[in-house]
Amino acid sequence: MFTIRCPYCGERDQSEFSNGGEAHVARPKDPEQISDREWSEYVFIRANPKGIYYERWVHTHGCKKWFNAVRNTSTDEILKVYKIGENPPPLKEFKNTIKTPSGEPDVGSGNFSVKKP
Amino acid sequence: MTESKIYFKFDGKKYAGNEGDTIAAALLRNNVRLIGRSFKYHRPRGIYTCGIEEPNALVQIINEHNEPNVRATVKKIYEGMIIKSQNRWPSLKTDLGSINNILSPIFSAGFYYKTFMGPKGFWKNVYEPLIRRTAGLGKPPKEFKSKSIHQHHNVDIIIVGGGLSGLLAAKKFAGTNYDVLLVEREDALGGILKNANKIKSINDQSSNDWLEKTERLIRNSNNIKILKNTLVTTYNFSDHLIALEDKNVGKPQNNEKPELVLHKIRTKHTILANGHIERFITFRNNDLPGVMLAASFEKYLNRYGVVPDESPVIFTNNSSTYSLLKSLTDLGHKPKAYVDIRDQKNIEKETVDLLEKLNIPFYPKSEIEGCEGQKEVKKVSIRTKKNQISKIKTSMLCVSGGFNPDIHLFTQSKGLLKWDKDHLTFKPDRIFQKTITLGSVSGNFSYEKLLVEVEKKLSEFEGLNELEVKFELSGPEKFQIKELWETKQEKKSLWSKSFIDLQNDVTTKDLKQAVNEGFNRIEHLKRFTTNSMGTDQGKISSINALGIVSKILKKDISEVGTTTYRPPYSPVNFSAIAGRSTYEFYDPERKTPLHSWHINQNAVFENVGQWKRPWYFKKSEDETMHQSVQREAEQVRKTAGILDGSTLGKIEIKGKDALTFVNLMYTNSFTKMKPKTGRYALMLGEDGMIKDDGIVCKINDQHFIVTTTTGNAASVLAHMEEYAQTEWPNLNVYMNSITEQFATFNLSGPKSRVIMSRVFNDIDFSNDKFPFMSFDNFKYLDTEIRILRASFTGELGYEIYVPPSHALKLWQKIFMYSRDFDLVPYGTETMHLLRAEKGYIIVGQDTDGTVTPLDLNLNWMIGKKKKDFIGKRSLTRIDIVRESRKQLVGLVPIDKTLGIEEGQHVIEQKDLSLPIKDPVDMLGHVTSSYFSPNLNHSVAMALIRSGKRKIGSRLFVSTENLNTIAVEVVEPNFIDPKNERMML
Ligand SMILES: [Zn+2]
Repeated sequence: MFTIRCPYCGERDQSEFSNGGEAHVARPKDPEQISDREWSEYVFIRANPKGIYYERWVHTHGCKKWFNAVRNTSTDEILKVYKIGENPPPLKEFKNTIKTPSGEPDVGSGNFSVKKP
Repeated sequence: MTESKIYFKFDGKKYAGNEGDTIAAALLRNNVRLIGRSFKYHRPRGIYTCGIEEPNALVQIINEHNEPNVRATVKKIYEGMIIKSQNRWPSLKTDLGSINNILSPIFSAGFYYKTFMGPKGFWKNVYEPLIRRTAGLGKPPKEFKSKSIHQHHNVDIIIVGGGLSGLLAAKKFAGTNYDVLLVEREDALGGILKNANKIKSINDQSSNDWLEKTERLIRNSNNIKILKNTLVTTYNFSDHLIALEDKNVGKPQNNEKPELVLHKIRTKHTILANGHIERFITFRNNDLPGVMLAASFEKYLNRYGVVPDESPVIFTNNSSTYSLLKSLTDLGHKPKAYVDIRDQKNIEKETVDLLEKLNIPFYPKSEIEGCEGQKEVKKVSIRTKKNQISKIKTSMLCVSGGFNPDIHLFTQSKGLLKWDKDHLTFKPDRIFQKTITLGSVSGNFSYEKLLVEVEKKLSEFEGLNELEVKFELSGPEKFQIKELWETKQEKKSLWSKSFIDLQNDVTTKDLKQAVNEGFNRIEHLKRFTTNSMGTDQGKISSINALGIVSKILKKDISEVGTTTYRPPYSPVNFSAIAGRSTYEFYDPERKTPLHSWHINQNAVFENVGQWKRPWYFKKSEDETMHQSVQREAEQVRKTAGILDGSTLGKIEIKGKDALTFVNLMYTNSFTKMKPKTGRYALMLGEDGMIKDDGIVCKINDQHFIVTTTTGNAASVLAHMEEYAQTEWPNLNVYMNSITEQFATFNLSGPKSRVIMSRVFNDIDFSNDKFPFMSFDNFKYLDTEIRILRASFTGELGYEIYVPPSHALKLWQKIFMYSRDFDLVPYGTETMHLLRAEKGYIIVGQDTDGTVTPLDLNLNWMIGKKKKDFIGKRSLTRIDIVRESRKQLVGLVPIDKTLGIEEGQHVIEQKDLSLPIKDPVDMLGHVTSSYFSPNLNHSVAMALIRSGKRKIGSRLFVSTENLNTIAVEVVEPNFIDPKNERMML
């Protein structure tokens, strides 16, 4: 349960929003001209990294506006929100520490509440 | 004492307690020690602790709608309360389930996984009912209407725990600009000051005086809100906490007021000052009633004025029990013996002096080997330092195995722990959120250091008060402990057990066996043995389990690690979580403007999303659903029928680029479509799968109205918004839901034109003037209505859109003008039947998100000349054009008397007799099936592999037994295949 700062309404509870998956996945301009593989990648394939990531969100129970966010998927920190059409901030602007709750590995998950010696 | 007595009943017997007593305190006051039977072995159990950590003393409150698993050590009594013990049959004292204890070798670790494997059907019919009767906690509560509410807070600081550390922190913040919430789980602030005899005075006042003054100061500060009887159960990510307040403490239920409040707290900083929990030591029969934790015993003395026993044996491995010794002897009572595992030279001088002075038998470097007794402790056996067993008669044994910082909330917040060698426990190390730990929860058990800690950890806040506090302690300042998790056992009778988890009846033997069987990871071990998986989550025992396992594995405890602590800290009532979202407030009900008419006509309703839709109308009391549906369907095709279609989603689309947008959203082409005409249209996802269908009405190129299926109205609008905002923000287009702005009637049947002409006698409904799929707006009374000629059923039909305020009158008027045609109101079931007769699909019934327009033979709906629409490119993907995909076909049984069941498999083989040697090749399944009154046989639709190619062939449909039904595969259009009726 975190909060999200809607660029139109301000900070609101997460439960008012819906996640729309990876942002800046451009719809191919001329779908007929690309291969099945290229089209399938657009439709089905998303990066889903552990760490910092561009995402789409919509203020479903609010202004119903879509916007973009930079979120650290391993800590749920929302590092930045920006409107549709605005340029995405470069990821190197943010410290990608992959700071996970318990110092777990970069890939996979774990539940270690005791720090690794 | 002159306090007035409070009378309550426990297992039918009346007892008196004092105001403020918990059930446990009151029962101990009356010398009742046997409280319940244990989970698995039905062993007698008593009161082990004096608080939230209680594993054993769980009871059922009969007069509170049978509330089960209530902690007797937390719940306060009131006049007339009726309490029952749990998990015993027929009575607490003679419990037949205790035979499980004798059979215990078969109940060992992994018992459930290993034992109840077969034969087939035994789990459902024999094992599960048996387990449910003999294992478990209380019985489920009765149904009741909760008045619980939710409350939200936004604060700067939350202080969890109103004990000494929490009070010091609150004092620092009193009167400052910070907005502070102080949450205390007991009904009074003070914590250790009220529970134990550790602090003699504060600033030369009694600790009670200091407490009163401090509470007054905090109350008068205006910036601190105090919540008592409130337990923080959850520390979520992003500084969000959840706390449960009991508004009804010590009071009988009042059904008019909220009994529980779930506080949802958003904070900037969290100060955890929630203290510590004493842990036990494992020895033989450490579960017998009469065994109690030492600090809990002392809490009964100091907080409740109850002496659980005047001469208990005290057993410890640390310095803290001095305080109990002092409290008890100050009252003039004398322990039977004091047993300390530590060498005499390590035992504090204060303790030794007091024992000597009062001549209390003292056993240094000794341990409790076990207890004897049937229903409670009668004797304890001590292993002395010379390794001899010495037995002492006693009815109570107080145990202290050390203290654990109450790290549950800290780890929920994702903070990291480290092993503290001095205190032999885990304590907070690295924070993950904006968390500050103060006092014993941070691993600081020293009062002198507490002041330094508070000053240091709160130094990041500006403008806080100075603290002037001076403690005078009544016992040793330094905490000292010797490791001891389990004592050595002397004899091993079948009845003797040493428990590591009292609530789930897990023994140390189970732990050892599990490790032997290869469960050497702590998370696996926990699940295999169910250790610490009870409602108490092993609060007094989980670290002991780690200690024992680490010894078996020959590892450090820090290497073994803890299991994951998950919210909630302690069970939360479902009624509190639900809050006011119950019954009529759970989910809104949407009713059409004609709802009252439907009720008068004996409609049976179906839930479609939140809507109540007539499913069918019962003409007489004894008419069955089948009869109603057959009657309705027959009448529609004979004369006419009318359906309340008001629930259909309606979306208005406007803007300069509306045409371009609608062309992108739907498969059809709308460019050449004339104004004031409609078109049946399909909406796909980018994957090419059907998402929805509906009618697109064009008013002009800048203005469209589209309908959606009832259940998809919201998601279709959201889908359009998503594309309009994110993919094509350059398009000038606006969408608006107008579902509830219009009631919609679907009139169908050969007589519908005559009826329309009678009702709207100034409108020309002739084929020329009002052709199929055209619409127009008309003045009607003081408003406007829209009439669309379309067909839902394959019959001549009209859709009327009318403002809700005029709906009922118009509906009645239509019936008035069609008496001679027996116009029939019909429901959704008949609508499905009529559509199935025509092979018209129902999105969500004949499609399931894996079906393309090509699979349904709806190629004609695809605007192939359009450059692009959502999902277009997917329709040429290799997998989508594959001939062997499942395609929609019609099925008609060869034996016309037979019915086909929806969901059954379509197969090629007729014979399914046992044994089936090879796997049956399943071609697909039946999606819709109805008995057609108009054809007098069953019609069905199915999605089957290479369906188009199989038209004309004979296949079989499975049934609920091993028979099959032979069917002919046909085009899915059973009535009027040339579609002449709707063009009438
Ligand atoms: Zn918003």
